[in-house]
Amino acid sequence: MTKELEQKFAQELEENQNIIHKVCRSYTNNEADHKDLFQEITIQLWKAYPKFRGDSKFSTWMYRVSFNTAISLYRKSKRTVQTTVIYDNLKELEFHDYDESADKQLNLLYKAIYSLNDIEKALALMYLEDRSYKEISKTLGISEVNARVKMNRTKTKLKNILNP
Amino acid sequence: MQNLDNLKDIWKSQGESSIRYTKNDIHSMVQKKSSSIVKWILIISLLEFILPNLVFVFTDFEASRVFYQKYGLENIMKFYVVFHVIIIIGFIYVFYKNYRNISSESNVKILLSNILKTRSTVKYYIYYNLTIMGIIGLHMFYIVYHSPQFLEELPANSSIIMVWIISITFLALALLVFWLFYRIIYGFFLKKLKKNYAELESNDLS
Repeated sequence: MTKELEQKFAQELEENQNIIHKVCRSYTNNEADHKDLFQEITIQLWKAYPKFRGDSKFSTWMYRVSFNTAISLYRKSKRTVQTTVIYDNLKELEFHDYDESADKQLNLLYKAIYSLNDIEKALALMYLEDRSYKEISKTLGISEVNARVKMNRTKTKLKNILNP
Repeated sequence: MQNLDNLKDIWKSQGESSIRYTKNDIHSMVQKKSSSIVKWILIISLLEFILPNLVFVFTDFEASRVFYQKYGLENIMKFYVVFHVIIIIGFIYVFYKNYRNISSESNVKILLSNILKTRSTVKYYIYYNLTIMGIIGLHMFYIVYHSPQFLEELPANSSIIMVWIISITFLALALLVFWLFYRIIYGFFLKKLKKNYAELESNDLS
């Protein structure tokens, strides 16, 4: 039974791993930490998986556990390598239609998100992923009104970072 | 980059991450142990529960018994031990209940609040320990320094006021070391969580 469940979990996670990679890349600034956080999120997802009944979409549930891990549970590893530039040197993401300027812009966007605080990072990610205010408020545990206020502030901050 | 809607287009244009995991990688990941902050909080909290009580394990019971008998401290010490054990059981119950409430599936605010609640239980436990140590220490000093046995043994040229000052200084220093040790550990783990919780709390208009 557990084996079957683990198979199903691995299958679903393999298909949806991009969500976790986006969260990891927003909350860490080097590959080692990215991998560490990915692993911790996977462990937390697996621990919670038997209770996941499909009341919400798998992706919504993944977001919730991923943010919880990144914001509250993850203890950043000690090896804070001489960071910030590391991701830039990696060609992190592959494009179907490779476009250098889009790649550069995406890197800048990730850098801007990384400079936000932990809650703002979650807000920025959910904004970019077109998540509804209802889902944002449920994920963070704040009212929809507060989510809107914070979202506006985050968007302004993001804009200011990208257009100094 | 000026327009925020452009950002969404850039965001959506990103392909798959170059770091990709296969099902096998995921299988081996789930076998690994979590290193989450909750696990560390649990380990440290358990140590905080155990360490102050380890003092008793290394106590020379026979020497203590003779000392208590000599100065008539037996009954009051019995009272303190029973009282202390009841309080500890209460703390362990609340701590365990808080710990059970920590779930990665709750919303971010509730999770943060539950982690902080677990820590504050331990914080109160530490404060309780410091207070009870202070109270027992002062109470013992009072009884011992007022006993005829002690006054008889006190060298003629020494002053009881000096004895009090030295005793209280040592007691205060011991408590201070405990408190600082606790503050360092507490600050180290909770700085980020407190900041994030405050961020969620601010402007909550609901």
